[in-house]
Amino acid sequence: MNRIISGFLLLLLVTNSAYSATLSGELKDSAGAAVSDAVITATPTQGGLPSLSPQQPKSLDQINREFVSHVLVIRTGESVIFPNNDKTKHHVYSFSPAHRFEIKLYSGVPSEPITFNTPGVVVLGCNIHDWMVGYIVVTDTPYFAKTDASGHWSIELPVNEYKLTLWHENLDEPDASVSKIIKVIEGNSVINDTVSLKPNRRSGKPPSTLQEQGYQSEP
Amino acid sequence: MSSLRFIVIIAGIVVPCSVKAAGLVTTIPYDFEAHGLADFRYLHADSRQSWIDQGLGKFRYAGANNGNDLFRVDKAALVMQARLNWNWTGMVTAKYSNRQKNPVDISEAVLLFRPVSTSAWRLNARLGAFMPPISLENSGTAWSSPYTLTNSAINSWVGEELKTFGGEAQLSYQFASGDKVNLFGAGFGNNDTAGTLLAWRGWSMHDYVATVNDRLPLTTRANIFQLFPRQALQTQPFIEVDSRPGYYAGISLERPELVKFRALYYDNRARTNAIDHGQYGWHTRFWSLGAKMDLPWQTTLIGQGMFGRTQMGRQTRGLFPVDSGFWAESILLSKAIGSHRLSVRHDRFGTTEHDLSVRPVNIEPEYAGAANIEQGHAWTLNYNVTLVEHHQLNFEVSTIYSDRKARLLLDEATGQRETLWQLSYRLIF
Repeated sequence: MNRIISGFLLLLLVTNSAYSATLSGELKDSAGAAVSDAVITATPTQGGLPSLSPQQPKSLDQINREFVSHVLVIRTGESVIFPNNDKTKHHVYSFSPAHRFEIKLYSGVPSEPITFNTPGVVVLGCNIHDWMVGYIVVTDTPYFAKTDASGHWSIELPVNEYKLTLWHENLDEPDASVSKIIKVIEGNSVINDTVSLKPNRRSGKPPSTLQEQGYQSEP
Repeated sequence: MSSLRFIVIIAGIVVPCSVKAAGLVTTIPYDFEAHGLADFRYLHADSRQSWIDQGLGKFRYAGANNGNDLFRVDKAALVMQARLNWNWTGMVTAKYSNRQKNPVDISEAVLLFRPVSTSAWRLNARLGAFMPPISLENSGTAWSSPYTLTNSAINSWVGEELKTFGGEAQLSYQFASGDKVNLFGAGFGNNDTAGTLLAWRGWSMHDYVATVNDRLPLTTRANIFQLFPRQALQTQPFIEVDSRPGYYAGISLERPELVKFRALYYDNRARTNAIDHGQYGWHTRFWSLGAKMDLPWQTTLIGQGMFGRTQMGRQTRGLFPVDSGFWAESILLSKAIGSHRLSVRHDRFGTTEHDLSVRPVNIEPEYAGAANIEQGHAWTLNYNVTLVEHHQLNFEVSTIYSDRKARLLLDEATGQRETLWQLSYRLIF
């Protein structure tokens, strides 16, 4: 029993030495509504980054002709698979400078993983279903979070000075992102922000009625 | 183009698809999808004899002999789509409509070329029989509108007389934000009679879409056929008369799910002295402008405008036998509340005339049939509700006031108000 407890304490100490601080916050737009699918990354201004350990590829599914999730965050050098859960085919592509690619996805057939070696935002589309849009945010740092439906986010990280960057597809800023330098101290720090968004949010969802889904006669 | 050749092309697309659909062959390497729409109407018409019954009434339905209340199968359409490979898709719309020449016929048949692009530039194309990209309202199955049963004056005319056989290419540049700029252009044949109805009948408002073999009537009660004895009783909208291709070209700017603007110039380049089997060439050209905006609170605003000119016959002393200017505009406001939708549209339209038959003072009866001067406006109010995706109920009232000089020859007052109440059940799959 004692051994178990001391083992647990040791683990706690190790955890604490690696991550001794928690940054969290809530993101709202200027109208007070929660902002989901925003990406917060924290990059240390001094010292290196932990190297990327071998990982299973991340997964970005297509379900009901929609990317699920709408936004995926990965570290530079990680791979992504694109499982097609629909009966129809998908033809996923991107012309973002961070990674130009196209991949043909048959229903239910596992896809080859695609590795993203350049940090940046990769905008995804489907050549068959024009409304589909998704984002892969590729970042060098392992300290990142994505806001949930209620706008909440949380990152555990070591005490240090960080460049904190916020990205959202509709953020009304150049490159849709803003940054600031912060000093992270031990314990919990809360950063609540309000941002202004552009109104042109592309839902990435199919048209709401069957009448408008089943007809494509213009190229 | 002969209808036989057309049918062969269509069969080449449809038959393999049907085989696949029937489950007879499972190894055909393309996807097949079928969608459709059937539309059943109860109508109460307070309107003049319809243009489709050789009158000069603006609606497709009129009470006339059967009283004012009508039940009609408005249309039943099947849209078949086959994904031939990752770049090419075939799409055919076959439909039945009340008063169609052939009970079942093709209204659109295209091959769409959409290769994937990993650069900001993209080149798409379509080949076949299609309507020029003018309507911003008819985005639903088989060119139906999710907003109203009755199309705007502009889009009614597109459905009747503007079907081209040819190829359209579209070059697009897409920004990282999703904004798009598209330049498009097409060369086409089979649209030399476009303008016939607009000149002889004027604008109309309905949802009739002409098919590739269709014939649409001209009024027999005016003096068209005395002035032009070689003119057939019915105009054939999808026909090549002079073997000279036409073109259209345009630009569209789009911020997806927010705003789309489109401008197009069309010229069928028809020879005005050409005639084939009673079908005259009408040299028709026009500008079409449109904008669609998705506003907050699930509200959509669509505005369209068009102006142009159509000429027919051999020019004498600088004047054509028929030379008619035309213009129309519409504005639609629609709000969705869950599965409910409320839409209201205002249309204004008119035609002018500057030709051999002009008699500005006191139209003489022998020329009144060619007095194609018209002015009008209309309101359409629609409420629809869609139940479990497949069932749509529409309640609609449309009222048109129009003034057309040619009605004098039909012993009618030139100014007429017509109103149509419609209750529709649509099955959508």
